[in-house]
Amino acid sequence: MEAKGWITGDESAKEMLGRVLSRARPFLLLPPLHRVPLRPRNVLEIVGPSPSAKTHLLIQAALTCVLPIDWNGVHYGGFDGFVIFIDLDCRFDIFRFSHLLKLRLASGSISEIDREQNNNTKERSSIAYDEELYTLCMRRFLYVRCYDSFEFLATLKTLHYRIQKEKAYGTCVHMLLIDRKSHSIQAVLETVVQEIRKLLLLHPMLAIATKATLFGNRAMNEAKWNLRKPDTSNSQSGGITALQLPYREYMPSVWQTFVTHRILLRPSDDHLAVSDDQNHSVYFSEWLMPSLSFLDKFIVKETGVFFVA
Amino acid sequence: MAPLKSLEQDYPILDSNFQSFCASHDIFSVEDLLLHDLYVLAAFAEQESSSERLKQGITQVLSIIDGKHQPWLNGMELLEDAQRNKHVLSSGCEGIDLLLHGGLRVGQLTELVGPSSSGKTQVCLLAASNVAKKHIGSVVYLDTGNSFSPQRVTHFICQHSDPAIDQAKHRTLQKVMNNISCKSVFDIFTMFDVLHQLEFNLRSQMQGGDCKMQLLIVDSVSSMVTPILGGSGSQGHALMISAGYLLKKLAHEHNIAVLVTNHTVGGDGGISKPALGESWKSIPHVRLLLSREHGGSICNVSILKHPSMAVGKAARFMIHN
Repeated sequence: MEAKGWITGDESAKEMLGRVLSRARPFLLLPPLHRVPLRPRNVLEIVGPSPSAKTHLLIQAALTCVLPIDWNGVHYGGFDGFVIFIDLDCRFDIFRFSHLLKLRLASGSISEIDREQNNNTKERSSIAYDEELYTLCMRRFLYVRCYDSFEFLATLKTLHYRIQKEKAYGTCVHMLLIDRKSHSIQAVLETVVQEIRKLLLLHPMLAIATKATLFGNRAMNEAKWNLRKPDTSNSQSGGITALQLPYREYMPSVWQTFVTHRILLRPSDDHLAVSDDQNHSVYFSEWLMPSLSFLDKFIVKETGVFFVA
Repeated sequence: MAPLKSLEQDYPILDSNFQSFCASHDIFSVEDLLLHDLYVLAAFAEQESSSERLKQGITQVLSIIDGKHQPWLNGMELLEDAQRNKHVLSSGCEGIDLLLHGGLRVGQLTELVGPSSSGKTQVCLLAASNVAKKHIGSVVYLDTGNSFSPQRVTHFICQHSDPAIDQAKHRTLQKVMNNISCKSVFDIFTMFDVLHQLEFNLRSQMQGGDCKMQLLIVDSVSSMVTPILGGSGSQGHALMISAGYLLKKLAHEHNIAVLVTNHTVGGDGGISKPALGESWKSIPHVRLLLSREHGGSICNVSILKHPSMAVGKAARFMIHN
């Protein structure tokens, strides 16, 4: 009797294809992450020195995740799910998140509002947005702070049950964001990787982690001096590309093999004067894994990330 | 680090049978359980004779672990908490208040960086006197260099009050001074002791009363950390990071504004940069650079880092003598 159970399958091939294909759509994220399609179960690591807009990228990704595809006739193009944000850096500013969400909602429904009026009103209080949708999106953002590695492990171990609770309400999780920066999890790294792997198996979602790199060893400084001296007439900003700069990485191989994609963000020495009083610094982004051989330049404005040619 | 035995009293399902089963897998405390794969453990428990009870024990342990981390909050709850609790404290210094849109924010760690005699201690004393006087909250001042001066604080408090009756003024002054408690700490281990004691007191304090702690000042954090940094071991570095996290935890969980000072060191190209290195860079929420013209009383303050404002915004203010 038991042997028969082995032969009769769980589902037919058609059902399986239907299940897998409905979930495995590639994620089209905002710039500068759009060059490589990211799918659920990918692990993206955003590295860069401080400051380089890493947390800003995480917030933009979270916003894309919580927004619905369509609402009241307006197309927002989100993933209509909820997002888990684990803050190991403990510096998350909810006011900034709320402000960016309101701007996204306002710009999403631009066809209904007088464009002229929208351009003139720059104060936070007069941005027109849909209250109900705002509350819905804020409720889909799940946040927890971890002050040390054991709290982080405790969170990961009980995350499965937390996700099950949300699933009972009908929405599913699409992203796991870990804002790590310089928080050291060396001691418990293997267990962390194991737990995240299990979670990704049970709940297919995209995992994004940030990490701060430490620049500034003497060899790098010498390289900087040598590059600057002969080429002062070089109009290229900075004159140093990441391909030439070595940066220190302390992560052991268990983490390096776990991460499937990696992007490096750096501030350049340039500043872009957009208007009279706004001076934005330009950042470089470079895909390390898969390795693309060009750099993107972008600036960070309130409404999002914009590329600079 | 408490052993599983100590949990038996509160959770009778974690009896000696469960403990010996865990011991056979090298698990003696809750922290060991955190490092172990619980599904594998449950699979092993299946093979034991008392598998049902053991699995109930594992479920019980999971719920204990659930209480070991901070609670989950969604965006609306976070926003409500921030709007209700995380208000702004005026620092008493017009330039800084203007720059930071109000002053020091509760729940954030603000760092003042500057070379020596650039006005950092003056700003700290000014902030302490202002918070004690205007916000009717208590201030804890951790002093590492014997720079706390009660005379200066008195001067700041009496500066803006009307020349009223001496008796009333004296009483107000006493009340305000009682709100500021100054402790001398000269090494990082004493600071950890003081901060842990503070955390314990805050957690067990009853709500209400008008002497709720509002501001914690550490002047200066770099003089405590610098002696332990460097060398071949990384313990000093780890101590610095955990001190930073403890300060941030105190700030966020107990709704306090934390102000620390740091000095500058020479960087590449001769430009000075803040001390304590790259890893400390990402710990404070707000970093302000102070500088003073030689011998003058006008200070320049500019933003080095802020969660929502551009780097480089500057302002000036004057410290009255």
